[in-house]
Amino acid sequence: MQIPQDLIDTAKLKLKSVQSEAEFFQLRAQFLGKKSFIISAFSELKGLDPDLKVSTARDLNILKVKLTQLFEDSFNTLDAHKQNMLDVSLPEDPYHLGSEHPISKISNKVIEHFSALNYQIFSGNEIETDYYNFEALNFPENHPARQMHDTFYLNSDASSEFLLRTHTSNTQIHSMLEESMPLYMLSPGRVYRCDSDNTHLPMFTQIEGLVVDVDLNFGDLKGTIIDFLENFFNERMDVRFRPSYFPFTEPSAEVDIKFGNRGWLEILGCGMVHPNVLQGCNIDTNTYRGFAFGMGVERLAMLYYGVNDIRDFYSSNLDFLNQFKP
Amino acid sequence: MNISYAYLKDFLNTRLSQKKLAEVFTKVGFECEINKSIIEFDITPNRGDVLSLRGLQREFNAFQLKNFKNSLKVTKLNFKKDRSVINQIDKKGCGNYHLLLIRGLSKIKKLDAKKSKFLTAAGIPLINPLVDLGNYVMLEIGAPMHVFDLSKLALPINVTFPKLNDVPVRVIGGDIKNIKNSALTIQDQAGIQAIAGIIGSEESSVSKRTSNIAVEAAFFKPEKIVNQARKYGLATDASHRFERGVDPKIQKLALERYLFLLSEIASFNKAECFFSEHSPKSTKPINLSIERFNSFSGLGLEAKDIKKILQHLGFDLFAETSKYLKFNVPSHRFDMQIEEDLYEELLRCYGYDNIPANKPKSGPKKTRISNNSLSKLRLGLIYAGFKELMHMPFVSPETYASLNSHSLVPAELINPINENESLMRGSLFGGLFSAINLNIKKGYASIKIFELGNVFNKTKDSFSQDTHLSGLIYHHELKKNWGSKEFLYDFFSLKSEIIKLLETLGITDIQFKQSSIINAFSSNALNIYISNKHIGSIGEINLLATQKVLKKPCYGFELYPERIFEDISNTKLCTFSKFPSSSRDLNIIIDKSFVYKDVDDKLSQITNKIKNLKAFTLINIFEGKGIPDGSISMTLRFIFQSSSKSLLDAEISSEMEQVSLVLKKNFKVSFRA
Repeated sequence: MQIPQDLIDTAKLKLKSVQSEAEFFQLRAQFLGKKSFIISAFSELKGLDPDLKVSTARDLNILKVKLTQLFEDSFNTLDAHKQNMLDVSLPEDPYHLGSEHPISKISNKVIEHFSALNYQIFSGNEIETDYYNFEALNFPENHPARQMHDTFYLNSDASSEFLLRTHTSNTQIHSMLEESMPLYMLSPGRVYRCDSDNTHLPMFTQIEGLVVDVDLNFGDLKGTIIDFLENFFNERMDVRFRPSYFPFTEPSAEVDIKFGNRGWLEILGCGMVHPNVLQGCNIDTNTYRGFAFGMGVERLAMLYYGVNDIRDFYSSNLDFLNQFKP
Repeated sequence: MNISYAYLKDFLNTRLSQKKLAEVFTKVGFECEINKSIIEFDITPNRGDVLSLRGLQREFNAFQLKNFKNSLKVTKLNFKKDRSVINQIDKKGCGNYHLLLIRGLSKIKKLDAKKSKFLTAAGIPLINPLVDLGNYVMLEIGAPMHVFDLSKLALPINVTFPKLNDVPVRVIGGDIKNIKNSALTIQDQAGIQAIAGIIGSEESSVSKRTSNIAVEAAFFKPEKIVNQARKYGLATDASHRFERGVDPKIQKLALERYLFLLSEIASFNKAECFFSEHSPKSTKPINLSIERFNSFSGLGLEAKDIKKILQHLGFDLFAETSKYLKFNVPSHRFDMQIEEDLYEELLRCYGYDNIPANKPKSGPKKTRISNNSLSKLRLGLIYAGFKELMHMPFVSPETYASLNSHSLVPAELINPINENESLMRGSLFGGLFSAINLNIKKGYASIKIFELGNVFNKTKDSFSQDTHLSGLIYHHELKKNWGSKEFLYDFFSLKSEIIKLLETLGITDIQFKQSSIINAFSSNALNIYISNKHIGSIGEINLLATQKVLKKPCYGFELYPERIFEDISNTKLCTFSKFPSSSRDLNIIIDKSFVYKDVDDKLSQITNKIKNLKAFTLINIFEGKGIPDGSISMTLRFIFQSSSKSLLDAEISSEMEQVSLVLKKNFKVSFRA
């Protein structure tokens, strides 16, 4: 078989006179298409004796690569082609990128963790009666513990006193009264305290968990909390439990974590459910025990994202919100 | 409670550093922070007994398992009952009342520098050495004291609730307070001389010239003191302690200590002490089951460990069996009532951190399938480019009125933070309008936002709370893209956006109905129905309802996610034709008294009846030149397809005839080429 030596030069020459993209592709077909010399030459290799077959195949291959490269290079420099070409580096059309609010993101992260442990989610009422917000939670009337909660009261002609819930624990009472035991639940939602400054907002987001089951002990509470915190921050955590006081738990604890170089930081409150609370919900305290925990989502979000001013979350400032991934 | 570290260290007789000491207290439940030379204790309201040096010392010794001994120096007194000094004390509010009468005081010196500094560090101002000394003893022992100028008192004293309401009394500091008959008061023969446990009257207070004093130490019942101080706007160190409970057994000690310290700074002629008391309600011992405790805590403590810890905290063993221990509760522990209270004491001293943690337990498998529509709606909006925002729910009456129907009654706060925003929102749009306004000012020209939250209204005897999912689209690009491509967002973009959103939930039977008034929207608005249930509205925002916050057209939606349910029924597949489809366009001129929906409804009805008609769409509308006044031209496209063959022109034409006939008959349309 004779390989024409001037094939490349011929192609170069002919390419110079190409006027349009159509002509270009015609020419390309002539040199590299099914009926071109090169492609048909490959099919003729079969008949050659082995030695010759190898060397011819190699030569043909080299030629094919060179030709392919030649056509590719000249396509990009083709005037006709250049006219059709976009400046693809121009910016894209304007678009909107949506995103979840950071507080929702953090809430959902917590909810996801506990959903995997089969906790049911109840969000409850934000306007509540004194009974569910305080009394059923073992805050007797005229108890200084009520002063820990600066409460918003609502104007009402009804006999019961209505308020904005100061914690999501009200939902726990409703659930204990309505659901069957054992109960594994999470109550996320907005809560209100009549107080506003750099570190406090009159409305914030809380997530509380409640478990009522047989054979629960303080170690179960600890394990649940530590497991959650390590999952949430995705690392081994230094966690400290220290005694505290909430009227609805006995014993009560605050949980601190060591966060960066900021030392111990308070992250959530928890405890074993006070028997008065369980009994008030008709739960037999000889059979069942409970534990509960609660956390402020804004605080978690501030730590998680490194936000310094809690008010940023409610500022509606897109410069702030655009920084969060969807 | 702020305590100077140097003073506390000496009092506790410890060498621990300030940081270590703060840590020790924090670990056993008395959270504290260091502020320069001061330790700031944040004592929880159940532990009023720790609001003193002695209280801290008792705890400090207990968790080091050291015994607590009283080592304070006192001047022993002989306490007498005398109704010419203390006549009556009301049993409901007062457990005991002691008065130390000191006459002929002279050469009164200031408190020594160490004590003065200690008081200042605690945030208690120095007033008069006689008063300062009372404050010092309160911080040291925990018994609040009040010092009267004895010369200004007309003995005997009665501790009683006033018979009259709103008796004006000038209290220390000069303010006049109208005393309610719910306030326990200290009265002499002239009238009210103090609101018990809170503050004394200006009239009977001590001055520089005072030479005879009556020092009061008493036990007022917490339930009678709590809320009183707040009622009169008078939160004092004394009321803070009485509200939480003061040990009813330390009044004598406090007065003896006062007298001892007074003799260091002053001379006096005579000191005598009087008291009156009601025998206190005996506290019941608390039973502790060793086995129950261990199952509660996950520990395995033995009787001897339990006794050791509790006895150091002042709980004396009352009785014991092999399974049960019974403890007396010390008089200062107001917080002790049930067995679990003892558990807390044990765990606290044992150390919460020393209790082993178990693997987390899981709840029973859920049988209920929850409605997922809310999270899908949120996600759909996010994918469609909406930013989620959150706002405070407090609004002004004007905002409420502009966004809510007049038939609704707002939920009103009695004690709002901001007087102008005293109502709970009845719509989410108020916050969203301000958010758009704020971000326009920041230079944003195109904004898509939404909020999920509750809105509130007052009902007959309660309040309603409904979840809304509302959003706004504000689209006024300052610049088009570099190719001058235009981006228009109008009512119909909004409509398709909402349909798309609902269809992602598998919902297909979406209906829109025009309604005369939808708050916040202009007349270009629609109510949305799914299976005849009103699930929300969309529309152009009524700029008047934004109270001048927005000035350019803006579109919005309000959905009620609690009424929206995902359609999770199985997809039913239909067979589809293998043959090509053809389309025919038809130009009709129709009177404007008809709306498109009339045409759409009619054509939908006949689509099933005409054999090969598969679908139709509106592709153009036009009015103006060449179209009669009061009419509009619509171009409709009809799609024909047979499941068994390729359709012939004639077959399609005949079916188009049927369509034309229906339109002519129902809408009196004319046709245009």
